[in-house]
Formats: sequence, structure tokens, C-alpha cells
Amino acid sequence: MFEVYFPVFLMLAIAVAVPCLLFTLASTLGTKNPTPEKMLPYESGSASTGAQHLRLSVKFYLTAILFVVFDIEAVFLYPWAAQFRELGWAGLVEMVLFLLVLGVTLVYAWKKGALEWER
Amino acid sequence: MIELLGAWAPLLPVLFVALGGLGLMLVDALVKDKAELAMGTFVVLSLGAGLALGLWNEPVTAASTELFGGWVAADRLSLFLDVAICGGAALAALLGGGYLREHQLERGEFYVLVVFSAFGGMMLGRSSDVLTLFVALETLSLGVYGLVAFRRTSPRAAEGALKYFLLGSFASAILLYGSALLYGATGHTDFVGIAASIEAGDAETRLTILAMALMVVGLAFKVSAVPFHMWTPDAYEGAVTPATTFMAVVVKTAAFGVLLRVLFVVFGDDMLSAPSTGWPRVLGALAAITMLGGNLAAIVQRNVKRMLAYSSIAHAGYILVGIAAAASGPADAGWSETALSSVLYYLLAYTVSNVLAFGSLILAGSHGKEAVSYEDLAGLGRRHPAVALPFVLGILSLMGFPPTAGFFAKYYVLSAAMQMGTGMLWLVLVAVLSSAVGAYYYLRVLVFLFMKQPEPGAVVAVPMRSLYVVSALVLSGYFVLRMGLAPNAYLEFALEAARTFG
Repeated sequence: MFEVYFPVFLMLAIAVAVPCLLFTLASTLGTKNPTPEKMLPYESGSASTGAQHLRLSVKFYLTAILFVVFDIEAVFLYPWAAQFRELGWAGLVEMVLFLLVLGVTLVYAWKKGALEWER
Repeated sequence: MIELLGAWAPLLPVLFVALGGLGLMLVDALVKDKAELAMGTFVVLSLGAGLALGLWNEPVTAASTELFGGWVAADRLSLFLDVAICGGAALAALLGGGYLREHQLERGEFYVLVVFSAFGGMMLGRSSDVLTLFVALETLSLGVYGLVAFRRTSPRAAEGALKYFLLGSFASAILLYGSALLYGATGHTDFVGIAASIEAGDAETRLTILAMALMVVGLAFKVSAVPFHMWTPDAYEGAVTPATTFMAVVVKTAAFGVLLRVLFVVFGDDMLSAPSTGWPRVLGALAAITMLGGNLAAIVQRNVKRMLAYSSIAHAGYILVGIAAAASGPADAGWSETALSSVLYYLLAYTVSNVLAFGSLILAGSHGKEAVSYEDLAGLGRRHPAVALPFVLGILSLMGFPPTAGFFAKYYVLSAAMQMGTGMLWLVLVAVLSSAVGAYYYLRVLVFLFMKQPEPGAVVAVPMRSLYVVSALVLSGYFVLRMGLAPNAYLEFALEAARTFG
């Protein structure tokens, strides 16, 4: 049992050891010269513009969720298209049903105004 | 229609409910005002229950077959659960129709979530593969998380929903871990394949036992058995009352249904289900602490909804007694059909009694004057006898007072446990004692309804008027009395479903 999983445990041990080692080395060997600029949160090099706890609009969340829904649709469509001939009519019917359900959700999201950014 | 669908006919109820849910979603999106979604939901779900009843005597279901190569079961147990789930959800939708309008929360999402969660519950009841089980359980749960958080502006609702969501996800993960171990031990994901592998002795015993423990914990969470019940009072209290009703009746019924299937089909092996060393003993202990914990905690509650939440925990304990009893017979006797049918009967009785109690609580309050604490109910029986009457009936049924459905439910479970001999005697004693404790807080409701008067100057709950709520109460009240006065037909119904495990 253990022999089979030995490489996995070895991998795990290395994965834990390497970052520990690097951080220890960096903190013991590196020179420290903190300036106020260095202690600021990193914002891609530009000057900080305020607190990082911004309230994001819920619209971003909606858009992301809608994206996931249609992304998953594509995930299912590709393998189906690749195996189209083998799956035959049963596959076609199943996929049409699936798309129909997604179509209903699209109509729902549309009518509920989830696709409008400005309201 | 049935000929056209052939072997797929047993899926008719669940397909119908799914299509109905999609239809309701479109109606909600396209019809701007005055969409009678509560009525639509009630019709869809009652037709789903009706279809399940109509399929009862079809040869395809009476024969206990499986569809899609073992993914989905087609048997009478699943149809029985369809009836209980659809019935409970339909009544909860009716309550929603009255409650949401009165409290100005009317949004179509409620009904759509109810229908899709009920769909998840129906799939859970017929799942015969750990993957179907998991997907169905999530379909059921995700909708319910949304239902708990339905009153968006209330911090209590958000608290309850977040607790339920976090602990629920945790329980799902535990269940999934158990399933994964089971697959590792046996190489199968379908219930029958796993059972055959365990029976043949191919599975590593320690892994199987660990997997069983994890799966039972995951499901014990969903039925809110002590010590996995911590989320229940907060979620039940924070949710809008119709959603609480839905959780109490539908989620519990579906989870108990699949628990039966997991225990008796997957872990039905002689060694694992031995009365003295296997899971019956564990479930017996779980039942005992659930009954005691639920009943004792319910006593100290000041909020009626919280009290009913703890009472639902206690009822999960009584149901677990029946499940433990079903496997506690002599080794060669197989499952006790009496005990299994008593569990199913209990689920039906519990559904209608709870709808009655929660529905009366809804009816007792109105906008801005919701009935929450015992004090709110003070003197209601004098001022509004018509509202107090269904409340009394529901409370008596939950208490197990004859001639109500709840009396026979408890009677059947306990007498089935008594038949199993002295090994179950202690559990029966615990059940009787904790029921006696339970009578205290149930009777307290009646005391406040009829014998107390509100404090001078206190805000009193004013009953609302709603045809929806009244019709839900009439329907559930009818079944509470019917199952209490003429229980045989329902017991026979439960017995036929219990024979699925034959």
C-alpha cells in the first residue's frame, strides 16, 4: 500500500519543504531596508488610491455567473460535437433538451434585466 | 402515454415537475404583474404527486427496476417519496402564496426555487448511484439555501442562510468523501454494484466502515439529527415561514428516503447491518440523543418557530428509531417490513402535521405583526377561535395525541421497535420519556392560546386573511384527521412502498 503511494508522499514533502526553505533563506540572509513606499500594498507600481475594501457592484457577480453558465454549455458542446456520429439521434435529442433548458434560463435572465448594465 | 415512454414511465412525475418549474420560470419572467405563481406551483406539484400515484400499479414500478444502467431507481419507494415530497412542497407553496403577499415579499423566485428543490428531492429519492445521490442532494440543497436567505433585508435570514450553507457544504463534502472511499474500496458507484462487492467480500472492510460512517454523518446532517443539528434552529428561524415549512417537510422526507436506500441497499450486508455490531446500534444511539436533545432544547425556547425547529429535530429521532428497528430483527428474518412501513408512514404524518402547525403560525400573524413568541399567541383562542383550531390540531398531532396522524405515526414506530425484542426496549423507553417531555412545550402553546391573556399594552398578533393559507390548512387538517381516524389505507400504502427492500 505504502510503496504505491511513496512518490506522492515524496512529492508532498518536496512541495512543503521548498517554499519553507526559500522563505527562511530570504528572511535570514536578505538585507532589510523598509521605506514607507516599500510598505504600501502593491498596486502594479502605480500610487495607491485608497482603501482596498471597496464595495463591488453585484452586477459583476451576475455577469460572472452568467458567463459560467454559458461556459459550461460550451464544455458540454465540444465533446458532443466531436462524438456526433457515434452518439446519433439519442445524443442529438439530449443535447437539444439541454440547450432548451439553457434557452429558458437565458430568456429568464434577459427578461429579469440581468443582461443590462445600466438601469 | 405510459406505453409511449415504456421503461421511462417511472420518471414521469419528476420530468413533469422539472418542465413545470421551467414553465413557471418563464411565466415569472414574462408576466409582469399578478402572476398567480402560488396557484401554478400548487397545480404543478399536485399533478406530480398525482402522476406518482397513477404509476403505483404499473408493472414497471411494481417490479423495482433501474434506469440508465443503474443510475436511477424505478420502484415504489421513489413513488411514495414523490407523493410525500410533492404534497409537502405544494402545501408549502400555498402557504407562500398567502405569507409572501401579506408581508410584501412576493417575488416569483420563491416558487421557482420550491419547484426545483422539490425536483432535487424527488431525484434524491430515486437515486441509486452515489453520483446521482450527490447531484440530487445539491440540487435540493442549493435551492433551499436561497429560500432561507429569501428575506434579503433581514440579518437573521442572512445569518441562518450562511450557517446552513457553510455547514451544508461541509456535510456534502463529508458525504462525497465517503462515496469516494466506497468507490476506492469496491470499484463501483452504483448502489447494487457496491452492495454486491461488499457481499462478495471483495471490499477492504476498514475502508467500507469508514465510508459508511462518513455517508451516515453527511445524511444525518440533512435530517438534522443531534449532534449534527446546530444549523437547524437558526436556519428555521431566519427563513420566511413557508420556506421553513418546506425545509421541515420536504428536505427531511427526501433525506430520510435516501438514508433508507443507502443503509438497506448499499450497507445491507449481514456483517455491516448486524443488530449488535453494525449500523443499527449506531442509529439507535443517534436516535436516543436526537430525541433527548431535540425535546430538551425545545423546552427552553421562547420563539415558537425555534420551538418547532427543535421539535422537528426530535421527530427525526423518532424516525431513526424506526430505521434502527427495521434492521434489529433476528439474523435470518431480513428487514422488518412493519418497521420500514412505520418509518414511511411517519414521514407522511410528519409532513401534514408540520404544514398544519407552521401554517397556523403564519395565519396567526399579519404584516408587521408576525406571531413569533408564545406571548404573541396569548389569548388568540378567545379572540380568533377559527385560527386557533388548526393550531390545536397541528400541535396535538405533533405531540402524538389521538385521533391524529401523529398518534399513529408514533404508535407504529414504537410498536415496531417493541416487536424486535428486548434489544430495542431501552430505545422505546427513551422515546416514550422524551415524548412526555415534549408534551410540556407543545401544551404550552395551547396554554397560551386559551388560558393566557396578553399583557396590557402589549402588541398582539392580528391574524391575516388569505384563501391560500386557509386552503393549505384545510387540506393538511383533512389529512391529519383522516390518517388519524382511518390509518389503514395509508399504512397499506407505506407497506407496499417498504416492500421495495424486500
